Amino acid sequence: MKRAAAVLLAAARVLLVVLAIGGVARAEEIKMVGVITKIDISGPDAKVATATLKDTKSEKTVDITVKDDLTLDKFKDHRIVEGDEIRCKYEVKDGKNVSNYFRKTAGC
Amino acid sequence: MKRAKTIGTALAALLYASGAPAAEHPGRAQIEKDGYKGPATCEECHPGTAKQFLGTVHWKHASKVDNVEHLDPKVEYGMKNRIYTMCNGNDVVNNLKEIPKNSAGHSKLTGCNTCHPGNHISDVGSTGPAAEAAVDCLVCHSSDYDFRQRKPYKDAQGRVVMGQDRSTKAALAVGKPGVKNCMVCHESAGGGVLIKRGLAFNKENDAHAAKGMVCVDCHKSKDHHVPTGFDPNNWANDGVRLACSDCHGDKPHKNADYNRHVAKIACQTCHIPHTGGAVAKDFTVWEQGEDKFWEPTTLKRDANETVPVYAWYNKTVRNEPHFIGPKGSRKDGKSKIYPFKIYMGKAFYDKETGKLLSMDFAPPMATGNARAGVESAARTLGMKDPAAVAKNAVPGWQTIYFASSHLVTKGKALNCVNCHGVNGVLNFRELGYSEAEVKKLTNPEIYFKQLVEMQKQEW
Ligand code: HEC
Ligand code: HEC
Ligand code: HEC
Ligand code: HEC
Ligand code: HEC
Ligand code: HEC
Ligand code: HEC
Repeated sequence: MKRAAAVLLAAARVLLVVLAIGGVARAEEIKMVGVITKIDISGPDAKVATATLKDTKSEKTVDITVKDDLTLDKFKDHRIVEGDEIRCKYEVKDGKNVSNYFRKTAGC
Repeated sequence: MKRAKTIGTALAALLYASGAPAAEHPGRAQIEKDGYKGPATCEECHPGTAKQFLGTVHWKHASKVDNVEHLDPKVEYGMKNRIYTMCNGNDVVNNLKEIPKNSAGHSKLTGCNTCHPGNHISDVGSTGPAAEAAVDCLVCHSSDYDFRQRKPYKDAQGRVVMGQDRSTKAALAVGKPGVKNCMVCHESAGGGVLIKRGLAFNKENDAHAAKGMVCVDCHKSKDHHVPTGFDPNNWANDGVRLACSDCHGDKPHKNADYNRHVAKIACQTCHIPHTGGAVAKDFTVWEQGEDKFWEPTTLKRDANETVPVYAWYNKTVRNEPHFIGPKGSRKDGKSKIYPFKIYMGKAFYDKETGKLLSMDFAPPMATGNARAGVESAARTLGMKDPAAVAKNAVPGWQTIYFASSHLVTKGKALNCVNCHGVNGVLNFRELGYSEAEVKKLTNPEIYFKQLVEMQKQEW
């Protein structure tokens, strides 16, 4: 019984993850390192933000859509700010560059 | 019974914590009225707290250490002064400062003690009234901290100061530390996000995080003494320890087969089957980034991306120039099998003594010249002829075992066949089992019936 519940829960989680990734077939992941030139976030309750990264190699700017809670929180309390260098992985979905991975390159 | 109660209490606290919004801090009205003036404000109602804090590991980055070999029992050790190859610098030799200009003409303020809740004028281990007034209470206690303030800057006298958010707004959001407060420092330990231990404390990677638990639900602290375990590389401690069994007891399973294993096998071995973070670094060769600053060459891995090694551990530590890791054996009656993250670090050794040398990161960060970093550190430490020490230094690798204490899973916990199968994760021979024992331990008779039974229950 408990087990069944656990399996259901696990299934629900998988479903959630799939939904979050937004599609069954995973698009190709693009990797880049860039410096944040701009962060667009609507306020403390925002569920999505756009960060503009300037690719350190090509100097091209890319708008990245960020949806994960941890990164959004880091924008809100300014643990991540303009000027920070970021290692980012994203996928193109409905014309948007949606981030799967968004971390500062520098450490202590 | 006792255990059921502990978990019950923990759960009740949890439900309380995650269900209701955090109880309002009783000091709020007064802080709102008078504004926040640093620890003195808190001291009005929590007298003696700042002074007490100055005696803890989080302020001193050091303590007496009694379970590691080749240490001086009279000396305190920690990130303040340790020399090893996860961070080849430390608070002393790699003190926060303005580093020389790089090839693009840029400098920056950086150093190990940015992970300290002081203001750098009152630095790691300082004491007295100025130090008490310098404690950043809010970095651990505010849920509304503006991290733009927590940056090093130069003051009017040219001193390098570590900034703090001392706004009344931040002080109005005081409470028990959340995950974020602890992760301000623990997320980027070792030179970048999740580098040191891959401590990804989130619902995807950790069963306790998935239940809504926060760091201090386990690391419950009295008088700012934060309990820790026996990670062979967490030397400094506040004299209080925690373990899985504090809450779960040592018979946590309905299944007696698992409970029987607890005598010889640590909980973590089955429940933390993966590890993560950097697997190797080379401090002798630095790589230039796009910003023209240099960083030690690092092989990174994400949380849960690597598998641990398993070793007997009796909670005492072998500490040699080329190895830091567990001591213990199957026969000593005290050891259990634990999982460890293996890490290899390359750095410079003293040609004369064979000891590992430390490094000031400022010179190599600017120019990539690692030996210049060794020379600067040798000078800070008062070694004889720093230039010669650096010139003759010999590169070498050090192997380090880190404990695996988080990333707990239930669903992916090791089961019978993960260990007793012919390709099981444990190398029974290396762990000290005889050929005859290995034969028995890898014979399906050991697990076949039990697993068939579990299979039935599952469906
Ligand atoms: C006007 C008095 C007053 C002031 C000023 C005050 N507090 Fe408190 N605080 C209390 C009382 C009362 C409690 C509840 C009893 C206790 O835990 O001591 C409390 C509880 C706490 C707790 C425990 C909260 C929990 O949920 O477990 C923390 C942490 C705390 N205070 C931190 C601070 C910090 C940091 C400051 C300074 C910014 C501060 N307090 C200023 C009165 C005050
Ligand atoms: C300002 C940076 C900073 C913050 C914030 C911080 N830590 Fe630490 N912590 C450190 C450093 C640095 C060390 C290593 C000290 C050493 O080994 O010398 C450490 C060591 C520890 C240890 C092992 C030593 C001990 O005291 O037991 C534990 C456990 C720990 N931290 C837990 C926490 C928890 C829980 C929180 C949140 C309440 C937290 N830390 C917040 C910097 C920080
Ligand atoms: C490195 C993080 C850290 C810093 C800095 C810090 N605290 Fe705490 N504080 C803790 C932790 C952890 C607890 C225990 C929380 C628990 O067990 O629920 C705690 C608990 C408290 C409590 C509750 C009562 C107690 O003593 O357990 C008070 C009050 C408090 N802190 C005040 C302060 C004040 C005032 C300062 C600044 C002088 C400060 N803290 C600095 C981590 C920190
Ligand atoms: C479910 C309980 C639990 C939670 C939640 C938890 N820890 Fe731990 N932590 C432990 C245990 C148990 C150990 C010691 C294990 C041992 O050595 O046997 C430990 C050890 C540590 C250590 C020492 C180094 C190491 O990895 O062994 C640090 C630092 C630490 N924890 C920080 C944190 C931080 C920061 C958080 C929150 C992000 C956190 N812990 C959340 C249980 C917990
Ligand atoms: C402070 C108490 C505390 C400590 C320390 C602690 N746990 Fe837990 N643990 C809990 C609580 C509370 C739960 C949630 C129980 C529940 O929801 O039924 C839990 C749940 C679990 C679960 C089940 C998770 C699930 O998905 O159902 C496992 C497995 C577990 N803990 C293992 C460990 C291991 C291994 C350690 C040591 C590294 C540890 N715990 C340390 C309190 C603790
Ligand atoms: C030999 C491997 C092994 C060891 C050692 C072990 N566990 Fe487990 N544990 C498991 C497995 C496998 C499960 C999952 C059982 C299931 O899914 O039905 C489990 C489940 C649990 C649960 C969930 C309750 C339950 O019965 O399902 C808790 C809590 C737990 N373990 C805690 C611990 C603690 C604490 C320790 C150390 C005292 C420990 N375990 C040692 C393998 C182990
Ligand atoms: C983490 C690896 C691991 C897992 C998982 C594990 N075992 Fe073991 N098991 C061992 C080790 C190591 C020993 C030897 C312990 C000792 O030295 O006493 C052992 C011993 C045993 C023995 C005693 C053998 C003997 O006669 O000396 C039996 C029976 C056994 N396991 C059955 C099981 C069953 C059934 C399961 C699943 C429910 C299981 N084990 C899961 C590692 C594991």
